[in-house]
Amino acid sequence: MATETEALQHSGRFRLKAIKGRAFEAILIVATLVGLVALVMLFGFMFFDAVSPGSASAEWYLLFFGTLVGPVSAFTLYGRRHPAVRSANARASAAVFGGLALSLSTFVVLKAMSPYGPLVYLITVGSLPLAVAAYGRYTGSSYFVGPAMVLATLLAIVWTLGSEVLLVPLLDATFELGNQLLGGVPVLGSVPVPVDRGLLVFAIAVGLPTLAVANSVLRRQLSLDRLLVVVAVLLLSAAGTSGLDQLLRPYLEPLPLWAAYGGVVGPPVIGLLGLVVTRRRGLRSGLVAAAAAVGGALAVAVGALTISVNPRLLVVLALGMGVPTAYVVGETVTTDPDGRVGVAGPFIIVGGILLGAYIEQSLSVAGPDTWVTPTLLVESWDGLFPTEAGAYPSTVGSIMIVGLMALMAFPVGVGAAIYLEEYAPDSGWRGRLASVIELNIANLAGVPSVVYGLLGLALFQNFLDYGPGLVFSASATLGFLILPIVIVSAQEALKAVPDSLREASYGMGASRWQTVRSVVLPEAVPGILTGTILALGRAIGETAPLIVIAVATATSSAPDGLFSTGAALPLRLFAASANFDPAYRTGVVAALAIVLLVLMLTMNAIAIIIRNKYQE
Amino acid sequence: MSEPEPETQTESTDEQNESASLIDTHVTADSETGRPRVHGESVVEARNLDVHYGEEQALSDVHLDIYEREVTAIIGPSGCGKSTFLRCINRMNDLVESAKIDGQLRFRGTGMYSDEIDPVALRRQIGMVFQHPNPFPKSIYDNVAYGLRVQNETVTDDIVEEALRRAALWDEVKDQLHTSALDLSGGQQQRLCIARAVAVDPDVLLMDEPASALDPIATSKIENLIEDLSQEYTVVIVTHNMQQAARISDRTAVFLTGGELVEVDDTATIFENPDDQRVEDYITGKFG
Amino acid sequence: MSQEDETELSSLKRSEFVLRKERLYRQLLAGCALLTIAITAGIILALSGQALVFFESVSPIDFLTGQDWSPLSNEPSFGILPLVSGTLIVVVGSAVVALPVGLGAAIYLSEYANPRVRAIVKPVLEILAGIPTVVYGYFALVYLTPILRDGFSLPVLPEFIANALPLVSEFTLVVPGLFPEVNTFNALSASIVVGVMIIPMVSSISEDALSAVPDSLREAAYGLGSTKFDVSTKVVVPAATSGIVSSYVLALSRAIGETMIVVMAAGESPKIPTVPNIFDNFTASIETMTVAMVNIAQAESLGESVTYESMFAIGLTLFALTLTMNYIAELISRRYREEY
Repeated sequence: MATETEALQHSGRFRLKAIKGRAFEAILIVATLVGLVALVMLFGFMFFDAVSPGSASAEWYLLFFGTLVGPVSAFTLYGRRHPAVRSANARASAAVFGGLALSLSTFVVLKAMSPYGPLVYLITVGSLPLAVAAYGRYTGSSYFVGPAMVLATLLAIVWTLGSEVLLVPLLDATFELGNQLLGGVPVLGSVPVPVDRGLLVFAIAVGLPTLAVANSVLRRQLSLDRLLVVVAVLLLSAAGTSGLDQLLRPYLEPLPLWAAYGGVVGPPVIGLLGLVVTRRRGLRSGLVAAAAAVGGALAVAVGALTISVNPRLLVVLALGMGVPTAYVVGETVTTDPDGRVGVAGPFIIVGGILLGAYIEQSLSVAGPDTWVTPTLLVESWDGLFPTEAGAYPSTVGSIMIVGLMALMAFPVGVGAAIYLEEYAPDSGWRGRLASVIELNIANLAGVPSVVYGLLGLALFQNFLDYGPGLVFSASATLGFLILPIVIVSAQEALKAVPDSLREASYGMGASRWQTVRSVVLPEAVPGILTGTILALGRAIGETAPLIVIAVATATSSAPDGLFSTGAALPLRLFAASANFDPAYRTGVVAALAIVLLVLMLTMNAIAIIIRNKYQE
Repeated sequence: MSEPEPETQTESTDEQNESASLIDTHVTADSETGRPRVHGESVVEARNLDVHYGEEQALSDVHLDIYEREVTAIIGPSGCGKSTFLRCINRMNDLVESAKIDGQLRFRGTGMYSDEIDPVALRRQIGMVFQHPNPFPKSIYDNVAYGLRVQNETVTDDIVEEALRRAALWDEVKDQLHTSALDLSGGQQQRLCIARAVAVDPDVLLMDEPASALDPIATSKIENLIEDLSQEYTVVIVTHNMQQAARISDRTAVFLTGGELVEVDDTATIFENPDDQRVEDYITGKFG
Repeated sequence: MSQEDETELSSLKRSEFVLRKERLYRQLLAGCALLTIAITAGIILALSGQALVFFESVSPIDFLTGQDWSPLSNEPSFGILPLVSGTLIVVVGSAVVALPVGLGAAIYLSEYANPRVRAIVKPVLEILAGIPTVVYGYFALVYLTPILRDGFSLPVLPEFIANALPLVSEFTLVVPGLFPEVNTFNALSASIVVGVMIIPMVSSISEDALSAVPDSLREAAYGLGSTKFDVSTKVVVPAATSGIVSSYVLALSRAIGETMIVVMAAGESPKIPTVPNIFDNFTASIETMTVAMVNIAQAESLGESVTYESMFAIGLTLFALTLTMNYIAELISRRYREEY
C-alpha cells in the first residue's frame, strides 16, 4: 500500500502538482466562503445590535429553551420520522401562520383606509361577474360567461374607482399630447375641444360598454330580456361613471364598523371554504361549513360586544385565521389518521411563546434588551425618543403598495407567460413578435430599478398629472419592475408541465384555452407561486424607484387610500439611517433592517418549501 | 384479393377519389373461410397523403381506408411514419408547427383539412390513446368527466360508470373514484385513458402503441379490451408488436421506411400470404 | 348518405361563438405580453422626451464632456463626466471583489463540491442577491465603513457566560482598522458591498456555464492523465469562457445601475478621479449617476426646471449603457449555448 503510493508520487513534479491542486482547491473554498462570511457578518452585526442577545439572563434562555426550543425540536424530530405528520404539520402551520399574517395585513390596511371603501369594491367587483354568470345560467348558454366575466370584472374596477381617477386624467393627457403634437400646425393646434370635458368623459364611459354589449347581445336576436340587459349595462355604466364608490357608500356607512370589517374579509374566505368543501364533500357539506364559519364569526363578534371589547380585530382574525385553521385541523383529524398529530405543530410554537412570555412576566426574568419590539410595528415614528419610535405607517404603506402591485402584476405576468409558452407560434410574424417580446423581457429584467422610477415619474406625474408619490403610482411602478421576473418564472413553470398532458387534453377535444385552464395552469401553480413570492420579496425591499417618484421617506400617518400619498418600510429605513444618534443608528434602524431581512428570508423560505414539495 | 382502391393510386384525380369514396362497402376474401368478407362503411380515407416535418418526409403518398367497427393495425419498423399517420387522423400534427400535410384525408366523406373544419371539433369525434399512460393529475372521476366537461355536456355518474365499465376498470376503482388517478398502476392508468376516451362516445378510437409501456398481464388486458371495443367503435392501433397486431386486428397496414405504405389487407392475408416480398421479410424478421 | 354527410359536416364545423371566445382569450393574453413592449416603449419615450427638452438648454456635447456637475447650485452646471467616473470607480471596486470570488465559487460548486454541499451553499449564496439594497446600504454606511477605518472588537461569548467565568471574558475578537484614512462616505465600502451583492450573479450564471461543459471533455482530459486542477483550469474554464464572460458583463451592468448602496454609503461629491494615486479615489466620497438622479428627485419643488430634466438625461445615459451591456451579454451567452 505504502510503496504503491510512493511509486505513484515518486517524482517531485508529481508532489508539486498535488500541492498546486490542493492550494487551488483551498483558494476556491475561500472564494466560496467569502460570500457566506459576508452574509453571516451582515446578519450578525445587525442582529447583535438590534436584539443584543448577550443582555438576556441565563434564566431567560433556559426558560425559552424549555417552553419553545425543546418542544419544537422534539416535535420536528418526531415529524422527520413520520412523513404524514410532517405534511400535516406543514398544512396546519400554513393555515395558522399564513392566516395570521394575511389577517393582520388586511386588518391594518382596512384600519388605515376605513373598511367601507373596500367593502364597496368587493360588492361591485364581486357582484358584476356573478350577475353575468347568473344571466348565463338563465339563458342556458355558458359559452360567453368566461370572457364576459373577465370584462365585467375589469369594468367594475374602473366603475368603482369612478371616472375622475382614471378616465379624466387619461383624456386630459391625450388632449394635451395631441395639442403638443399638433401645436406645430397653426390651424389644428388652435382648434378647441368642441364639447365640455365632463360631457365627453361621460359619453365615452357610458357609451363604449353599452354599445359593445348592445352589439354582441342584440345583433343576432332582439328580445325583451336582451334589451333589459343592455339597459342594465347603460344604467350601471352611468352610475359607474360618477363613481359607484360615492353612490353606494352612504348606504353602507350605517353598518357597525366590525360588520364592515367582517363584510370585507368574510365573503372571500367563506366563499373559498364553501367551494373547497363542496368539491370534496358535496354541496350540503359545503353549505354547512360556510354557515358554520358565518356563525362562528358572529359568535366571536357578539361575545366581544358583551364584554365590551372592540370586535373588529377579533372578527378579522376569526375569519382570516380561525376558519382556515379549523378547516385544516378538522379535515386532517377526520381523514388522515397517520398525520393527525401533526396539526399540533403550530400550536406548540404559539403555546411555547405565550407560556414563555407569561412566565417571563410573572417571574420577571430578564430578557434581552432588544430593539425588535411590538412598538416597532404598531407605533408611528418618534424622532426624540428612540424607544417610542415605530414604523407602523410605513409598514401599512408597504403592505398596500405590494398588495396592490401583486393584484396588478400577477395576472398580467401570468397571462403574458401563457401567451408566450402556449399560444405564440415559432414561425411567421407572430413567432417573430414573440421572440422580440422574449428578448425585450430579458432586457427589461436588466434595466436598473431607478430607471423604472423615472418611467413612473413621467407616466403618472407628468403625463397623467397625479400627485407625487401616490400608493397607486408606487404599486404600478413596482409592478412594471417585477413584471419580467413574474413572466420568466411563470414561463419556467409552464415549461415544466409535461407535453403528454397537453396532448391528452387536445386529444379529448379540448380547445387551447380549455387545455390551459384546466390542465396546464393547475399543474404550473406551485412553480408560478414560487416565482411570484420571490418577486414580492424583491418588491418589498425596493427603494430607489419609490424615491424617484417622490413617495415620502418620512411619514407620520398611514396612507388612507390607493390615491393618497404612500409610505414604505425601506424608505423609513433609508431616512432613519442618516440619524447619528446611536440609539437610532444601531438600534431602531438595525431592528428595521432585521425586520426587512427576516421578511425577505421568510418569503424565500416559503418559496423554496413550495418548490421542493412539488418538485418530487 | 387485394384492395380495390390502390389501382387508382398514382394518377388518381380528385374526381376519381370522390367516386371511390361513394363505394361504401368493400369486399375482400376472408382467408379463414375463403368466402368474401364484407367491410363496413369506410370511416377514414387517405388519398395521396404526404407529410413533411420541415425537410424530412414522414409519409409519402399514402392511400388507406379504415372501415367501420374494425380494428385496423398499423405496423412497421420504427421511424416508418405509422405514428405520424395516426396523428394526422385527428389532426394532432397541427400542434407540430413544422408539419406540412398534402393530399387528402377524409372523415366520413368530409375533407378533414378543409378550412371550415375545426380540429377541436374533429378530435371530439376521433379520440386518442397515447403510448405512455397520461392521466391528468386529477381524480379518476374527473379524468373520465374531462372530455364531457370540455364539450359542455352534463356529467352524470352513470356516464362515468359506463365508460369505466367499457374500459373494464369499474370493478377495480369503483370505491376510489375520487382519489388521484396517479395512484393507479400503469395498466390501470392506460385503461383509464381508454375510459376517458370512450366517455365522450367518439366515432373512431386511435391508439398509439397503447401497451408498449406495460407489463405482459396489463398488455393482455388491454388487448382483450380492444377486441371488445371493436364491437362499437372503429379502432386504429399502431403497434410495433407483430404478434399483437395478428391477435387483435381485422386488417393490417404495413408501413416501411420513408413513410411508404407497402401493403394493406386482412390481417390473416398479411401474416400468411403477403403480396409484397418486403412485407414478408419484415414479418419473418429478415428486415426491420 | 348525403344527408348524413351534412350532419357530420355541421358537427365538425367551427362554432362561430367558440372561435370568437378563443380569439378573445388569445388577444387578452397577447395584450399582456405586448404590455412588456409598451413598458420598454414607455421607458424610451419618457427618458428621451424629457432628455430632449434638457438638451435644448444644455448641448449634448457639454453634457457628455463637461467636468463639473453642480445641478443644484445657483449657476448650475451639467457635465456628466464626474458622475460617469464615480460609477466607474464603484464598478471597478465591485469587480475586484465579485469577479474572482464569484468565479472561484462557481468552479468550486461545479467541479469540487459534492452534491450535498452544493445543495446548501448555492441557495445560501443566492440569498445575497435577494437582500434589499437599502439594507446593504445601511450595512455599508453604519458597519463596514467604521470597520474599515477603526477595525472592530467582538465579544465571543454572551455576557452572562463571560461574567460567570471571569477568565473567559478576555476572549474578544479584535481586528484592527485597515484603512484609517477613509471618509464617512466613501467609495470603498460601497464598492465592497456592491461586489458582495453581485457575487451570486457571477457565481450562478458561471456555474451554469461550467456545468454545461459536457462530461466527455472532462473524461478525455482525465484519460490523458490530467489532475483535477488541470482539468478545471485548462479544459473546463476555457470551454465555458463565453458563459463566464457573459456573467461578468451582466453583473457589472447590475453594479452600474445599483442605487441605494451608493446613495447611502458613497456620498454625494462629484469629482474627477485623481490619477497618480488611484486608491485615494476609493477612500474619498464620490457621486455616481444613480446618486445624482436620487439627489435631484429628493430636492423638492423643482418643477419643470433644467435640473429636473437633467435627471432624465442621466437616466437615458444609464439606460443606454446597461441596455448595451445586457445585449452584449446576451450575444456572448448565445454563442456558448450554440457550442454544445
